[in-house]
Amino acid sequence: MKKRNPLFRIILIVVLMVAAVYYLYPTIRLEQLRKVERVKFATLASLSGLPVQKVSRDVYGDLDLRDSIPGWDALDEMTRRQITQDLQDLKGPFREKLQGYRSKAIRRGLDLQGGMRMVLEVDLVKLLDNLAQRKDERFDNMLEQIKLRTSDPEVEFFDVVKQVFGEANIPLNHYFLTSRSTDSEILKYINQEASDAVDRSLEILRNRIDQFGVSEPNIVKQGSRRIVIELPGVQDPERARQLIGKTALLEFKLLADPEVYTTLIDRIDRFLRKEKGLETESDSLAETQEAATDTAAVRTDTTQHVSQDTVVNVKDLFGGETEMPETTGVSIDANLLKEAPFKALLRDIGQDIVAVPTANYSAVNNIIHRKEVQELIPKNVEFLWSNVPQPGPAGEMYWILYLVKSEPELTGSAVRDAKVDIGSGYNPGTSGKPYVALSLNRDGARVFSEVTGANVGKQLSIVLDSKVRSAPVIKTKIPSGNAEITGNFTMDEAKDLAIVLRAGALPAPVEEIEERTVGPSLGADSIKSGTISFIVGFCLVVLAMAVYYRLSGIFADVALILNLIYIIATMAGFHATLTLPGIAGIILTVGMAIDSNVLIFERIREELRTGKTVRAAIETGYARAFVTIMDSQITTLIAGVALYQFGTGPIRGFALTLIIGIISSMFTAIVVVRVIQDFIVNKYDPKTLSI
Amino acid sequence: MEFFRKTNINFQGNRRIAITCSAIFILAGFISLIVRGGPNYSIDFSGGTGITLRFAGPVSEGEVRSVLNEIKLGDSEVKTIGGGGSHPDILIRVKETAVEAGTVTLVENTIRKGIPDNTFEVLQIEKVGPKIGKELKGKAVWAMVVSLIGILIYLAWRFEFKFAVGAVIATAHDLFAMLALFSLTNLEISLGIVAAFLTIAGYSINDTVVVYDRIRENIKKLRSATFFDIINISINETLSRTILTGSTTLMVLIVLFFMGGQVIHDFAFALLVGILIGTYSSIFIAAPILLEWEARTGTKKKKL
Repeated sequence: MKKRNPLFRIILIVVLMVAAVYYLYPTIRLEQLRKVERVKFATLASLSGLPVQKVSRDVYGDLDLRDSIPGWDALDEMTRRQITQDLQDLKGPFREKLQGYRSKAIRRGLDLQGGMRMVLEVDLVKLLDNLAQRKDERFDNMLEQIKLRTSDPEVEFFDVVKQVFGEANIPLNHYFLTSRSTDSEILKYINQEASDAVDRSLEILRNRIDQFGVSEPNIVKQGSRRIVIELPGVQDPERARQLIGKTALLEFKLLADPEVYTTLIDRIDRFLRKEKGLETESDSLAETQEAATDTAAVRTDTTQHVSQDTVVNVKDLFGGETEMPETTGVSIDANLLKEAPFKALLRDIGQDIVAVPTANYSAVNNIIHRKEVQELIPKNVEFLWSNVPQPGPAGEMYWILYLVKSEPELTGSAVRDAKVDIGSGYNPGTSGKPYVALSLNRDGARVFSEVTGANVGKQLSIVLDSKVRSAPVIKTKIPSGNAEITGNFTMDEAKDLAIVLRAGALPAPVEEIEERTVGPSLGADSIKSGTISFIVGFCLVVLAMAVYYRLSGIFADVALILNLIYIIATMAGFHATLTLPGIAGIILTVGMAIDSNVLIFERIREELRTGKTVRAAIETGYARAFVTIMDSQITTLIAGVALYQFGTGPIRGFALTLIIGIISSMFTAIVVVRVIQDFIVNKYDPKTLSI
Repeated sequence: MEFFRKTNINFQGNRRIAITCSAIFILAGFISLIVRGGPNYSIDFSGGTGITLRFAGPVSEGEVRSVLNEIKLGDSEVKTIGGGGSHPDILIRVKETAVEAGTVTLVENTIRKGIPDNTFEVLQIEKVGPKIGKELKGKAVWAMVVSLIGILIYLAWRFEFKFAVGAVIATAHDLFAMLALFSLTNLEISLGIVAAFLTIAGYSINDTVVVYDRIRENIKKLRSATFFDIINISINETLSRTILTGSTTLMVLIVLFFMGGQVIHDFAFALLVGILIGTYSSIFIAAPILLEWEARTGTKKKKL
C-alpha cells in the first residue's frame, strides 16, 4: 500500500488554526478590555459617589457625568482632574478600540448578560388610513377587511390591499393621490410611504435609544414592517418601555378649570346615586341650581376631610347590574360612601390633583368610560390618566386623573428641540435642579405665545399617546418660543421628557408585539451554570473516550478540542450571538461530535478482528466509515438547517452552533485524527494499535 | 475497553411487541391531548405576560396570589420554579389577551406593597402578543415538515425509497412520542422545547441512518442470509457504536439537566428522553418497517 502524503492535510489544519486564532482574537481582546472598563467604571463610581450603573449609562448616553455629581464643586482639585481625565479616556480612544473589537467579536445573548428585547410592528393599516384623501363607510369596511386578512403573518400586505380593492371593484385613486393616478402608481406610493414609515420609526427609535445610554444596542428592521430592538444590560426595563413602546402622538393640552372638574365629579356622583336609587331631595335642587352654584365649598370639603378608607365590594356599592369587572376590594372613603360613591374612590393629594389609589384604577376607569357617564362629560373636555402611578405624600401609589381640554393647543410638529439643563442662579427652588429647555419652531412659537399669554397660572399638560407625561404650570407669557419646563424632575425623568418632546410623533403608530426581559442575576446564573455544565460535560466525554479507546481515544480528544476551537472561531467569524441554548448546543455537539470518531474506531476494530494489519485496518476503516458519516451527518444537518430557518433569537443561536458543530466534527474526525494516526503508522509501523 | 464484542440479540423477533407499545403510548398521548384540549403551550405560543421574581425570603404561592387578588389578577397562574427554598423564584403568568403596557409595573408595585417585609428582584419578563404566538406555531410545524421532506428526499436518493420512508416514519414516531410524553406529564411546550424536538429528530435520523447504512452494506455482503437476519446482524454490529454515542450524549445531557440551571432544565429533559426514544426507534421502528415492507412487497424474494 502506498504511503499517504499528509502534507496537504497538515497545511489545511494549520491554515484553519491560523484563521481560527485570527477570528478569535477580537473576542479575547474584548473580554480583556471589558475587564479594564469595569475597573474604570468602578473607579469613577467611587470617586464620584455615584452608582456604577449610572456612570456607565452617562458615559454611553453621551452625557457629561460631571453634571450628575452632586457636590462637584466641593470635590478637591485632584479628584476633579482625575475624573475629567478618566472620562475623556473612556469616551475617546478607549471606546473606539472597544467598539472596534465589539463589531468583530462573539456577541453575548441577552439571556446571558441580562437585558431587554422588544419586537415592534408598524401599523400599516393605520398608515393607509392616514394617507387616504377622503374616507367613507365603504373605505372603513375595506380597511377592516385588510386588517382581518393581514393578521395572517404569511401574506404580503400590498397583495391584500390590491385584492380587497379589486373585489370591491373600486379603483385606488378614489381614495388615494389624485383621480388621474393609476393603481400601480398608487401602490408604489403607498409602498414607499410604508417603507419610509418603518425607516423613519427606526431612525427615531435609534435616536431615542442612543440617548438612553446602552452599551451595545441592536436595532434592526425585520421583514418589511417589524423592528427588533435589543438592549443588553438594561437595568430598568420600565423606563426603556416608556421610551420605545409608546405610539408617539405628542400634544399640548390645557387642563380644565378645577371648578369644571368638581362640577363634573358631582354630576357623575348624582348619576350613580340616582342609578342606585339613592336620590335625595337635594339632588333635584342641585340640578336646577347647578349652573350658578359655586362649588368651591364642596372642594374645600374634600381637601380638608381625612380619608377613612375601608374596603368594599364594588357590587355592594353600585349594585349588580353595572358592568364592573370582578372587582373585589376597592379602597373606599367611608365618610363619602353614601353621598358621593364616585368621589369616594378618589383622593385629593393637594394642588387640585385628583389621585386614584392603584386598587381603584379599574373601577374608576370603568365608570368614566361608561356610555352614560361619557354623556355627562362636556364636549370640550376629556379625562386622561397619568402615564405611570405616582407616589403620594405617604408613599402609596396613585394614578393621576386629569381633566383636559380635548382640543390640543399644539402638537409635536411644533417642537424644534428639547434638551435637559441644570438650573443656575440663587433661587433654591430651581438652582442645581434639572429642567427641560423646550424650543419651538416659528409657527409653534406664535401659537405658544398666545396660549401662554391667555392662561398664566394654569397648567399645560404634555400628552403623549393620550397619557399625561407632565403638567407644568404656565408661569408667564412666553413670546420667544423658548420655554423651560421645571418640576421635581430627577435627571432621568427630565432626560426622558426631553427625548419624548424631541422625537415627536412617529410617522405611523408602532405596536409592541413581544417583549422579553432578563434580569442581570438570571443572566449571571445562566453563565455560571452554563460554564460549569460545559466544563463537566466536556471532561466526562474526554475521559470516556480515553478510557474506551485508549491512545486512539486521546487522539479523538485532541480532535474534540480542535473542534471546539473551530466552533467558537466560526461563531466569532459570523459575529454570531452566544446564548444559553447556544451553549447547550455546543455541549450537545461535544457529545454527538464523538459519533464520527466512534464510527471510525469501531470500523477499525472490526477490520483488525478480521486479521488485517494496522495500516490496512485504518485504511479500510476510514473508507467504510466515511460513507456512513456523510449520510448520517448530512441528514442531521438538514434538520439543523430547518431549525435555523424556523428559529427566532436564542433558538437560532442553538441551531447555528449545531450546524457549525456537525461540519466541524466531520472535519476533525475524518482529517485531523487521520493525520495523527497516519503519522504514527508511517513513523513506527506498529504491529498493534491502541484502540 | 469494549462493551460488546459480538452480540447476537434477536431484536426483530420482538418487533411487534415494540410497535404495539409505541402505538399504545402515542395513542394515550393523543387521547390526553384531546382531553386537555391541545398541548400545554407556554407564553411563547399562547401569548400573555409572564413575570419571574426572585424573593429574598421564603414566600408561598398563596401569599402572592392573594396579593394579586387586590388588583383583580387573582386568576393569574402563580407557581414556584426551581425548587423554592429560602430564595424562591416565583413565576406569575397574567392571563390577558393583549400585551398591555403597565401591567408589569402594576404587578411589581402591588407585590412590593402587599408583601412589604420581603424584597424581590425581577429575574425575567416575557410578554408575547397573540399574533407572535400564532406565527410561531405555524413556523414550528413548517420547520418539522420541511426537515422531514428534506430528509426523505436525501435518503431516497442515497438509499432506496423504502429506507427513506422508514426513517421518516421513525422520526415522526419520535416527535409524536415526545408530544405524547409532554401531554401525559402536562409539561409546557415552549420555544426551547420545540428546538429540542427538532434536535431529537436530527439525532434520531442520524442513528437510523447508521443502522440503515449497515443494512445496505450487508445486503450486498451476505447474499444468502434472510432479510430478517441481515437486519438483526446489522443492528448487532452497530450496537457498540449506538450505545457509546448514545451514552456520551446522554452523559452531557445529564450534566445539563442537573447543573444547567432552571432555564435549560426542561430543555435538557426533553433532549434526554428524546435521545432514548430516538435510539429505541432506530432499532424497533425504523428497522421493522423495512422488514414489514419487504414482507409485503417481497421484491428481494427473501424468506423472513
